[in-house]
Formats: sequence, structure tokens, C-alpha cells
Amino acid sequence: MAKLTRRQLAQSVLAAGAAIAPWRAFAANPTGQASTVPSGPLTDSGVTDSEIVLGVSTAFKGPSRGLGIELYRGAVSYFAHVNDQGGVHGRRIVLKLRNDGYQPVPAVENSVKLIVDDKVFALFGYVGTPTVTRVLPVLKKFQDRDFLLFFPFTGAQPQRQPPYDEFAFNLRASYKQETAGLVDNFIAIGRERIAVFYQADAYGRSGWAGVRAALKEYDKKLVGEATYRRGEQYTAVMRAQVERLKKVNPDAVICIGSYAACAAFARDAVDGGLEVPIANLSFVGSENLLKNLTDEFGTESERYSRWLVNSQVVPSYEDLAMSSISEYADLMQRYDPTPPPEFEEHDYVPFAKSFTSLEGFLNAKLMTEILKRAGPSPSRALLEDAVFSIQNHDLGIGEMVHFSPERRQGLDQVYYTIVDNNRFVGLTDWEGKFAT
Amino acid sequence: MKITRLFQRTMFGIFFLFLLIGVSTSVVSIYSVDLHLTSEYEENSRDIAKTIADASVDIILNRDLSSLQSLIDQFVEIQGISYIYIVNDADEYLAHTFVPGIPEEILEGERRVGETVTRNLAGMGDFVEVSSYILAGHVGSVHIGMDVSHVALAIQQAIGNQIYLIAIIFFVGIFASIWFVSFAAKPINSLLDYAVTLAKSEKAEESESSTERILTRNDEVGHLARLFQYFSTVSDPDKLQNNSNVKEND
Repeated sequence: MAKLTRRQLAQSVLAAGAAIAPWRAFAANPTGQASTVPSGPLTDSGVTDSEIVLGVSTAFKGPSRGLGIELYRGAVSYFAHVNDQGGVHGRRIVLKLRNDGYQPVPAVENSVKLIVDDKVFALFGYVGTPTVTRVLPVLKKFQDRDFLLFFPFTGAQPQRQPPYDEFAFNLRASYKQETAGLVDNFIAIGRERIAVFYQADAYGRSGWAGVRAALKEYDKKLVGEATYRRGEQYTAVMRAQVERLKKVNPDAVICIGSYAACAAFARDAVDGGLEVPIANLSFVGSENLLKNLTDEFGTESERYSRWLVNSQVVPSYEDLAMSSISEYADLMQRYDPTPPPEFEEHDYVPFAKSFTSLEGFLNAKLMTEILKRAGPSPSRALLEDAVFSIQNHDLGIGEMVHFSPERRQGLDQVYYTIVDNNRFVGLTDWEGKFAT
Repeated sequence: MKITRLFQRTMFGIFFLFLLIGVSTSVVSIYSVDLHLTSEYEENSRDIAKTIADASVDIILNRDLSSLQSLIDQFVEIQGISYIYIVNDADEYLAHTFVPGIPEEILEGERRVGETVTRNLAGMGDFVEVSSYILAGHVGSVHIGMDVSHVALAIQQAIGNQIYLIAIIFFVGIFASIWFVSFAAKPINSLLDYAVTLAKSEKAEESESSTERILTRNDEVGHLARLFQYFSTVSDPDKLQNNSNVKEND
């Protein structure tokens, strides 16, 4: 009998471990969309004869869970549809899920586990700047294994510029583009004194830097700023922040935060007499923000929501004339994905439709296209070529997608929305709505 | 337990001695721990400021400020560090960790890079701030604030442990000295009883065995007892005659 080398022995042990790992079946859910865990032994490549495994670390719990859950639900609705159609080259797409609670350290730990222990094919659908910013060095560390991060739910710059841009692909427009658009529109209607309210971390700083750079184009500076600590709930009191900003008498406030904190700020701003447009970036999770206000104030919430203007990086989910929006509406209704059972907190009520789940849906749709282009024998080393083969690809939302070594972001369009009749609708007339 | 007044005073003496030791060593400890910890915190913070300053150059010149924020967020998690802020050469704040915003005292205060600055920030507390230039000041500077109360807490813990130890030693000492004192006081009490017996001219038969014991001791108590007996017989002619008869018979 031939002697096993130490390496062969280790590989055998790892393979055996993977084989008996307590994966739960993807199809366990009666809807057929339950999605989270691969079955059967995994190879180092994250691909088996029947599955392609993507690793997800996101916020399924905590104050920002609404973002992680909705992004996941949107993605799962499309992957479930693909799997029902026979998968990609005969392989089902499955997600290995881990919760990071929108905290950097767990995000890093999860990523290492997904790469080293779970041996996923690629990382997909992460949420947040402070998390992704810390995960990027992990990808650099494992660059010899060609791991890529696809379509994180953040518009921050670190994964869009050297030295980490080569490890990630983005679908959504950047915060730079969102903040520049907001500043352009505010200045165009005479609201030139712009202040920022932001999360005291990398995400907040990214948006802050975007507003600052956009104002610089007009030879202007931020008139004031106030911060809050990541993880604040809607019950947080933001009066100190409001008082700070009131002192500088702003014409508009751009918020770079999460939905709970931004809803708390909007509430305290109006109550404190700071009645100016309050803009939020796409990351805020518009529906969750509005829900916080309507849950507390009911029909009176209009008093607060009338000042909101939220930028979005996907079109309105009500625009059913677009083929992907109509498909999204159909698949969300058909599969009605539930939050992952292993992380489910029963007080969370999912949205039938939302900008966040639409983004997750589009992420999944483009990921599927990339996996198709990777061919019947996908490998991580050649995955990047599959991405670069996407040129003027119609994603069904009226904007063509293309990638290249110099362009690692698929979409550039920014949309603006306001609250009307308790839902976010497109804003076309800035002058009429917010002119001074 | 019977303790003589003489030894009660000794006990008070021991108590005050321990109090003096406790207070004096605490004062010396507070001074030295404060000096040591403060200088260690300052030294560590200066090293961190320098590390951030070195790492910031590339980020400020070439990359997004969210990377800079991410960098300082990691350092502010270190125990004792309360805030970090970075300003550029135009005195603009590029990144900071303040909530709900940069304090007025810092916004309006004079920037003294390289020096140790003591700050009292409204609603936040007292801080010692150290700083370091980024690229010799051509790019900006990094400032790190350490919470003074953190040092005070460390001192309190150190002094608390010391006082705890001294208190244990004190109580053990008190109990030990009570035992020793009562042990030492026993023959003196017997001597006192014997002297009282002699003074009352009572017959020694009632406490013959204890009288025998005290008169046969070889220490100062025995000498004193025999001396008391001698004075007693000198002052009493009957006893003197008895003692002479006894000697003649011997």
C-alpha cells in the first residue's frame, strides 16, 4: 500500500470533512426557493457536478438586517427561478450564508471561513462599506486562489480603485455619483448651504468625501456636519446632531447612514425645527426608513417624510414597463422568499417589493449571466474573463452593462425619489418640490 | 480576653502605624503609577499616531478617505484611546471618530503638533492628546486623545489592591498582637494578684499553688514577686520571726 504524503492525508481529511458537513438541502423549503446550503461534497473550486456555491456574509441580524435580508430575498427569487429552470449548465446555484450583523470583524472572519472552510466559488452580495472595506485585504491575502467579490451593496470607493479594485466587481453606481447628483440638484434649485449627517465610519466618510468633492466643483464647502455611531436604533435621540446642524442654518442635509438612524434624524430634525430637504443615499434602505416613521406616526408620518429625497441606484420597482422590473415583480410574488431560517428573527416583516430586493435581484441576474459565460467547466481563474465578456449587455432596466479591466462597475444611473402616498416615487421636478 | 491598659495603647500604636504605612505607600504608589501609566499611555499613543501618520500618506494622496476612516476606526478600538482625528495641511478635518461631531474646543483650539496637550471637552471629559506629523507636516497631522479617567481607573485599581493587602495584614497583625499581649500579660496579672494578696495581708494558703509558681519563676516577674514577699515580711514582725525560725530549722 502506497504511503500517503502529509498533504494527501490532509486533503483526504478535508474532503471527508466536507462530505459529512451538515449542509442542509437547498430545496428544503416548500416554495422550492430555499436556498442557502449546498449538498454533497465540495471541491476546492466551490463547484460540484450539481452545484455552484457562492459565499455570502451580510447583515441578517441587528439594526441593519433589513438591508441584508431584502438583498438576499431579491437574489434568491432569481436564483430559485434559475434553479427551477435546470440551473446553469446543469448546476444549481446555492448560497452559503453567514451573518456579520454589519460589523467589520465578523465580516472578515466570515470571509475567511467562506474561503478556507466552505471553499465557495466566489463571494457574492455583501452589505456595507465598513464590512467590505475590511474584507478587501482578505481577498488580497488569498489572491493566489483567484477569489472575487461580486456586487457588494455599497457605493464606496475602496473596491473601485487600486489597490483592491482587481478583487471586486460592482453593479451599482458609486456613492460619489449619488452624492454628486444630489449636490448638483440642490445647487441647481438654489440650496447651496449643504450639511451632512453621517455614520461615524468608513461608509459615512465615503459619502462625506463624495459631498465634499461635489461641492468643491462649485467652489463651495460643507457648512456643517454631525455624526452618529454605527448600530443606532430608531429609538436613538438625534437632538444633539440636529442642534449642531441648526446652528449652521443649512439649505439641505445629505444623510449617509442606515435606515434606523436616518429615520430617527428625520424625526428629530422636523421636531427640532430643521425643516429642510433631507437626502438619503441608496444604502439607507428607503422602505425600511419609511416604515420606521409610519410605524410610529401612522398617517401623521407625512409631516416628516415630505422632506425626504432618496437617491436610488436602480429604477423604481413600480416601473413595470421595464422587462426586468416586471420579471422581478413576478418572481418575488411567485417565490416570496423568506429570510434565511437559521438567522430568522420573527419580528421582521419582509417587503413585497423594495429597492434593495430589486438590487439583489439584478445582482443575481447578472451573476447568473456571468456563470453561464464561464462555461460548463467554470474556474475561478477564468471567471474574470467571463465578466469582461459582458459588453453592452441589456439587463432589462434601460441601461446597458459592460465591464472591462478599466471598468469594474456595471451601472452609472442614479434615480431620485420622494415619498408620495406612503411610498417612494420618482422625483422629476426638483424646483417644484424643494425650491427655496 | 483581658488586656491591660498598657497593651491597649500598644494596639492603638500598631493601628496608627499601619494607617501611616497605608496612607504613605498609597500616596507614593499613586504618584509612581500615575507617572508610569501616563507616560506609558503617551508613549504608546505617540507610536500609534506615528504608525497612522506613516500609513496615511498613501491613502490621503492616492485613495478614498473611507480607507483612512477605516484605518483610524481600527486604532480607536484600542483600550484607552478615545478619539482620533486627522487634519490636512489646510487644517481641514479629513477623518475623525467624534460623535455627534468635532468638539468646539478642538475646532477653535490652537493646533500644537508634536506636543502633549491636555484637553477638557464638554460632555466628554478630560483627555491627554498627542500628535504626529504626516510627511513632516506637508500632508497634515494625526491627533490621538487618551481618556484621563482611564488612567485614573487603572490607578484606582492598583491602589485598591494595595489597600486591600494592607488591610489583610493589619487585621492579621491585630489578632496576632492580641494573642501575644494576652500571653505576655498573664504572669503580670498573676504578679498583680499576688501583690494585692500581700497588701491585704491575706493568708497565702488560698492560692498556694499560684503563689508557688510565681515565686519560683526565673524572670523579672519572679524577682519582683520575691521582692514583694521580702518587703511584706520586713514590714510584718510575725512573718519575719517565722521566716527566721524556718531558716534556723533549715
